[in-house]
Amino acid sequence: MNIRPVVVAFLAPLAFLAACATSEEAFTQYGEELTLTETTSISAILADPEAHLGDQVLVEGTVVEVCEMKGCWLALAGEQDGDQLRVKVEDGVIIFPMTARGLPARVEGVMEKLEYTMEEALERAQNEAEMHGTEFDPSTVTGPEVVYQLKGLGAVIGDFE
Amino acid sequence: MGQIKWRKWNRLIHRDLGYLCVGLTVIYAVSGVAVNHVRDWNPNFKVTETRWNLGPIEADDPRSPEVVGGILLRIGQETTYRDTFRRDEATLEIFTNVGTVAVDLPTGETILEVVKDRRVLKEANILHLNQARGLWTILADLYAVALLVLAITGLFVIKGKKGITGRGAWLTAAGASIPLVFIWLYL
Repeated sequence: MNIRPVVVAFLAPLAFLAACATSEEAFTQYGEELTLTETTSISAILADPEAHLGDQVLVEGTVVEVCEMKGCWLALAGEQDGDQLRVKVEDGVIIFPMTARGLPARVEGVMEKLEYTMEEALERAQNEAEMHGTEFDPSTVTGPEVVYQLKGLGAVIGDFE
Repeated sequence: MGQIKWRKWNRLIHRDLGYLCVGLTVIYAVSGVAVNHVRDWNPNFKVTETRWNLGPIEADDPRSPEVVGGILLRIGQETTYRDTFRRDEATLEIFTNVGTVAVDLPTGETILEVVKDRRVLKEANILHLNQARGLWTILADLYAVALLVLAITGLFVIKGKKGITGRGAWLTAAGASIPLVFIWLYL
């Protein structure tokens, strides 16, 4: 039996996939094209999130965290120490890679407010602890929570300058 | 004569479509197992951690290039970095081209986290989860139809006692009942 065609049939697609995997771009576009050109300061948004609710904004910052399970959210650093804005995208529509952490990013989206009951806040904290591989401490959740986040529509991550 | 011709075409379609679908089936099967266990491991990225204890780090401005460069030198990394971040009072994160260095300033506990693509498997997951979209959506739909054709033609490849009128009927019924049992159990 001549096995050469069988070997070629299996190895050629694998070699092609490996070649595709090595090509790297300076930056990557996710979701819709950015339409805004003026950026809004993340720390300014976080200082008064109610004033920006429903606004479509373009923000810029370093990616400091990425959803490890589904790549469905990331966090951008603000200008002030400790400030970070969570960007949530529709599951499966935009998928942020874990390798985006530490890269500069521009994200366009709409500011939204999420209100969690005590039970929902507990569940959310438990999921986050699970994702980070840390022990869940229910005492850290003391009551209902309000979270402000950007509903991401499009993003550019990498050396876009 | 007509029946023989029908069987011949059925076998031919099943055989050639089977060959055509092997590559896609391997991709979907391997990626399927990988993403099925997403809660236990990351199917797209390999994350490695290296730890050091540098002792307490006291500095007025931990984000200054001198302090950051000093930390990177002590853990054997190049002193160039992309950015830094203070998640809270105690933590300094340094983003380099290699990975993320997280330093607990009061204790000096330092972790270098390096994230790398799982080559080939990541690309297979992109196709499986249709992150590529566009033309791939059409191809994935065609593949789904091809699987359906393979399943149906597979029922009629063999005739007789081992075919769909004999043992095949029992096995087909058993296979079809598996999802029904799980729907009954979970829903």
